[in-house]
Amino acid sequence: MVEDAHFQIPEGSIAALIGPNGSGKTTLMKAILGLIPLRSGDVFLFGKHAHQVRHLAGYVPQRFSFDGSFPITVREFLRLGQSRGCSPSVLREKIQEVGLTPLVLERRLGTLSGGQLQRVLIAQAILNNPSILFLDEPSTGIDVSGEALLHDVIQHLNREHGTTVFMVSHDLAMVSDMVDTVVCINRRILCAGAPREVLTHRTLAELFGDRSGVYEHWHDEVPHVHEKIRSHPNAH
Amino acid sequence: MSSLLPLMSLLLEMLSYPFMQRALLSGLVLGALLASLGVFVTLRRMAFFGDGIAHASLAGIAIAILAGVSPLPVALAWAVAIALLVYRLERNARIPSDSLIGIFFTASMALGVMLMRFTRGYQPDLVSYLFGNILSIRTSDVLLILLLSAAILFWLFLSIRPLTFLSIAEDSAAVRGIPVRFHTIILYVSLAMATVLGVKILGIVLVSALLILPSATSRLLTQSFKQYFIFSLIIAELAVFIGLSASFLFDLPSGAAVVLAGTGMFFLAATARTKK
Repeated sequence: MVEDAHFQIPEGSIAALIGPNGSGKTTLMKAILGLIPLRSGDVFLFGKHAHQVRHLAGYVPQRFSFDGSFPITVREFLRLGQSRGCSPSVLREKIQEVGLTPLVLERRLGTLSGGQLQRVLIAQAILNNPSILFLDEPSTGIDVSGEALLHDVIQHLNREHGTTVFMVSHDLAMVSDMVDTVVCINRRILCAGAPREVLTHRTLAELFGDRSGVYEHWHDEVPHVHEKIRSHPNAH
Repeated sequence: MSSLLPLMSLLLEMLSYPFMQRALLSGLVLGALLASLGVFVTLRRMAFFGDGIAHASLAGIAIAILAGVSPLPVALAWAVAIALLVYRLERNARIPSDSLIGIFFTASMALGVMLMRFTRGYQPDLVSYLFGNILSIRTSDVLLILLLSAAILFWLFLSIRPLTFLSIAEDSAAVRGIPVRFHTIILYVSLAMATVLGVKILGIVLVSALLILPSATSRLLTQSFKQYFIFSLIIAELAVFIGLSASFLFDLPSGAAVVLAGTGMFFLAATARTKK
């Protein structure tokens, strides 16, 4: 359960929800999307009740437990959510927008790498040109180069199309570099604001504990968070 | 060409019997229905559902026999009730569907066995429901099978995209505005009805094979969802035709013959895939 979840994120910005495991990040995101009923309170998107404007949202879930041997091409998968189908040119455009070549459209979904699959899921989520995109831990299971490509896609959608992005993330370095608003959660909202205000050692210690494994340093008066490289206790 | 003539004349003879016409017509329609639903059964990893519902329908059949009414409508109503109960408990009690099916399947089967204790003498209806019997298909059964199958296939035709989407990514489908609960309930009810209808030909013990075998075989041979769906239908129809023909020609149990024909195709496909 998550309590006292009161926060706002500016339209057209990138926001990240951070917190330790089990802190309610996914629960909160699903509640905002109407996938979990609220016990009390309201969710507003673009000044209206969320259920009135849910069609403006795109969503990429944290877990995509897809059976890789299931025969479905990327093209077929992308068209599933479209009641009236989708023109080939739109599919090509969206797949290129997430940094993939149109050749991927003919591949089986189960043959894609983790990074490619994640970008296909984003392409699926942006097919209807959503005004807000919800991403639940988008970089889970992706290697370093795949992560960088994914971050480029997120920034592209935000800058070129003005899409508001709200994501759950464990990647504090990315959060400090890329997002405009950080929301800290641990069963309740602990803080919300710009990274320079929120990502302080004190806040992170409060959120993750003293052994959070992150350190901050400053570039041009902006704090940057890095994960500490900790040696194994038995290492020499 | 001349060697095919005796076979052709045998097939023509088979088709001249009204009971075989009824069996083939309902078998082919049920094959298409079960294979289409089977695509979603395997995608949603609920292979146990058909088996469980088929066994659970025994209680409905027993109630009908005791009450002296036609077993098929009662078995249908019973299976639909069980399917809806499984759906409700699965969502509200957060119990996995395979556990729920396991509970209801055994409890309902036990109830059926218990009720059978009170029936007197040999029950041909019961034996035909357990193992399937093409001779038991009446014109009224054919009409019921055609009517319900047409309704389910029509819904499936209209809903194939949203149903596939929610079967792969339920939350994403819900955010996209797809009525997940509605489609899931209709799928469960359709599965329950299709399974009980299939019991007439294949029997309680074997009906779930026609849900699983065509899609499992097709998966070995195809690369896209469209091919997968079409191949599943072709494999189901071939299994039904070969199985029922063998059943007529060699006096074999119809359910077993259809399932063995389907299993033969599965192994052929698996062998072909291994050699690739």
